[in-house]
Amino acid sequence: MSNDIMAVDPGWAWAPFEPSAEQPWNRRRAAHLCRRAGFGATSEELDRIVKTDPTDFVASVIRQATAAAQIDPAADALATAMLATGNSKNLAAWWLYRMLNSQWPGDNAPSHSPLLEKLALFWHGHFATGADKVDDVEMMFDQNRLLRRHAVGDLGTMVLEISRNPAMLVYLDSATNRKAHPNENFAREIMELFCLGEGNYSERDIQELARCFTGWEVRRNSFRFNRFQHDTGSKSILGETGAFGGEEGIAVVLKQKALPRFIVGKLIRFFMFDEPSAPEQLVEPLAQLLRRSDLQIGPVIERILASNLFHSSFAVGRKVRSPVELGIGLLRCLHGSSNLELVARGLDEIGQAVFYPPNVKGWDGGRSWINTSTLLGRSNLVGEILRHDKTRFAGQSLESLATRYGVASPPKLIEWLDELFLAAPLGTRAKQELVEFAAQTSGNSSRRIAELIHTLSTVPQFHLA
Amino acid sequence: MTTRRSFLKTSFGTSAVVSLGTTAPRFLLRACGADANPAGENILVVIQLSGGNDGLNTIAPFREEVYRRARPVLAVRSEDALKIDDSLGFHPAAQGLSDLLENNCLAIVQGVGYPNPNRSHFESMDIWHTCRRKTSIRKDGWLGRFLDVSQQGKAINLPAIHLGHEQQPLALASQEIRVPSVTSLRKFRLTESSQKMRQTIAQIGRGASSGDDLLGFVQTSTGSALSASEQIEVASGNYSTDITYPDSGLAQKLKTVAQLIDSGLQTRIYYVTLDGFDTHSRQAPVHAALLKELSSALDSFVRDLDEHGHGNRVLTMAFSEFGRRLKENASEGTDHGAAAPVFLAGQGVKPGLHGKQPAVHDLDDGDVKFHTDFRHVYATVLDGWLGVASASILGDTYTPVPALKS
Repeated sequence: MSNDIMAVDPGWAWAPFEPSAEQPWNRRRAAHLCRRAGFGATSEELDRIVKTDPTDFVASVIRQATAAAQIDPAADALATAMLATGNSKNLAAWWLYRMLNSQWPGDNAPSHSPLLEKLALFWHGHFATGADKVDDVEMMFDQNRLLRRHAVGDLGTMVLEISRNPAMLVYLDSATNRKAHPNENFAREIMELFCLGEGNYSERDIQELARCFTGWEVRRNSFRFNRFQHDTGSKSILGETGAFGGEEGIAVVLKQKALPRFIVGKLIRFFMFDEPSAPEQLVEPLAQLLRRSDLQIGPVIERILASNLFHSSFAVGRKVRSPVELGIGLLRCLHGSSNLELVARGLDEIGQAVFYPPNVKGWDGGRSWINTSTLLGRSNLVGEILRHDKTRFAGQSLESLATRYGVASPPKLIEWLDELFLAAPLGTRAKQELVEFAAQTSGNSSRRIAELIHTLSTVPQFHLA
Repeated sequence: MTTRRSFLKTSFGTSAVVSLGTTAPRFLLRACGADANPAGENILVVIQLSGGNDGLNTIAPFREEVYRRARPVLAVRSEDALKIDDSLGFHPAAQGLSDLLENNCLAIVQGVGYPNPNRSHFESMDIWHTCRRKTSIRKDGWLGRFLDVSQQGKAINLPAIHLGHEQQPLALASQEIRVPSVTSLRKFRLTESSQKMRQTIAQIGRGASSGDDLLGFVQTSTGSALSASEQIEVASGNYSTDITYPDSGLAQKLKTVAQLIDSGLQTRIYYVTLDGFDTHSRQAPVHAALLKELSSALDSFVRDLDEHGHGNRVLTMAFSEFGRRLKENASEGTDHGAAAPVFLAGQGVKPGLHGKQPAVHDLDDGDVKFHTDFRHVYATVLDGWLGVASASILGDTYTPVPALKS
């Protein structure tokens, strides 16, 4: 296979991955899938997943997410408790709890879906809305419910609903929209960041779309259409002309050829590789799939996760672990539980506070996660989580976890952690360095394991997913 | 050229001093290589005003009828403006800028922008950062290219520092150097790490390949992080100043910059950000607060540098990705515009207004027209202050604006 992504045959790329003698369906491949489709898997889960067929497993992951999307988290007792505090930072801990306690499909009882949590995080970054400006925890929660409802469903409905979502309208200064002076901010972001991408519209299109949204308001935290403030005149958007209202304006945007390409490009980047941008010939088949399925998101995700390209060297280890993937993944793979308010604060320090994206573009991801401060911060956060007195592993200590898996000796432990956590495996010499390091540490067994994991988390390979 | 390898070497070369903590005396810092900027080389501090600063209300054409009519709510009134001349004045909240001008420490380049302005925050900021449009490859920024040019043949520790919580600006992206982002001096270190752990990490990094791929990138970044944290730990001793900085985010960042400059690092570029200028609604109180934060922080910073004897070699530049529309909107705010002023502050400036004034009655799609391409301002800074030939960095020859003392 060529090393050039431009030369990849789209037919091969999107065909389902078939295990073979050279490319077995093993724990390492399953771990890759679970890191991308969710927040990692425990060693036990990996053993279970490798007994299933990879294509069937992906299908079950999609079914699980689709079912979970129909369950409204408003009934969730933890959510109710966090909402009562009135603080969106606490709501972040609620979300982290759901990510951490999601289960891969199997014979266990229905639970939170890892893929749904991962997709909700994707859409939160896509339709980025910041709690500092919205300043209302209920509004932020309502938006999160909206994103979950459609995360794996209908893109068109999601765009329309997000356009009338109070948190979004407040965030983009569109809580009042009068016909005399339409506010362009929201119309701009619909085209630039939510649907089409820069370069696929003109400034005139933005001004005309802004006129469609006149009269859209937020009153008492709810969306309202004020017909007295609506500009009923004719508008011309992207080549279509009519006395459009907001819904019709969005319908014109949703019809554009650029829409499925833009969304598929972002999904490929999120689930497969940070760089380079996916070439057109790879985007196009999925863009057509998205259009053919009337903008249903599920089939596109399923195609991505089950594909040859997903399991190829173009994708494995080709992403930088996001802070949430780092913090939640660490605990998730080790049956961990901890003080999630502390984890949420720590993730903020290293660049990803959920409910607080840096701006309307969301998190850029990729190399932008990494700089000197975040590298030091990532290492410090892992150390802090491992040593925190509320942190447990399967309810107990690291020592008992290692014993349960029969990996108490440093060489075995390092092999086990390497398979569990690393997309880019350590070389023999690096493993040897870590064995020597482990031999020099002191203290009880749990503390020594914690130091080893802490050191491993500071090794460059650990930052790739 | 500074490679990962030399960073790692530095990392252990300085470790003996690290144990002395924050009280290491200056002579020891010199001994370990963090020598006072030896040639007394000039330093540039960039303040990025993110979101699109409303230039028309920062330097207000208060006499213009067109301006007052376009902004019935927001226009700066003649009696409130801090007068620069008969027709232009600072927003009343920008007292610090007015004071700097009074003290001959402020140059204002009016009407700065670029052809075919893009009104997306992100795209326009990328254009300012890289000097390139979207159609070209943009892997590095203008300051990153300056670092690559000026580093050739010599290994300078910490040639640039970004201070702030936000993502590192693309302007600092370089082919060769990982510029550190420092959120706070206190947190910029590995806590609870043993010397053995640091050594193990360095050992593992040493043997690995350092290509241009993601892993190579993380490897060089890790080497830089370990080295930079040790150097900054050494440099961040106690700092005393008679200037009282305001209690704002920007002021505290600039105070840290003053401290690092005074500690004798070789750093020539410091980069900080003030965000919040995207004033689409209820602009008046928000913009006033931002201008106050900017101007009082900048005024304190310039005075502090003077007091510590660095005033003649530090130039501060403040810019924004675009200005704002002349006409205010229905939410008592303003939408994205194009041209806006750029500020240069320090003892090295030729004080006063520079560049052609944008005319409020001669608009381009509702925005005042630009007359000075921002690359002319960059050329001013590169040729006239940092002492490098700007053409290779900017991709073309741009005449400097005569805003610096020769």
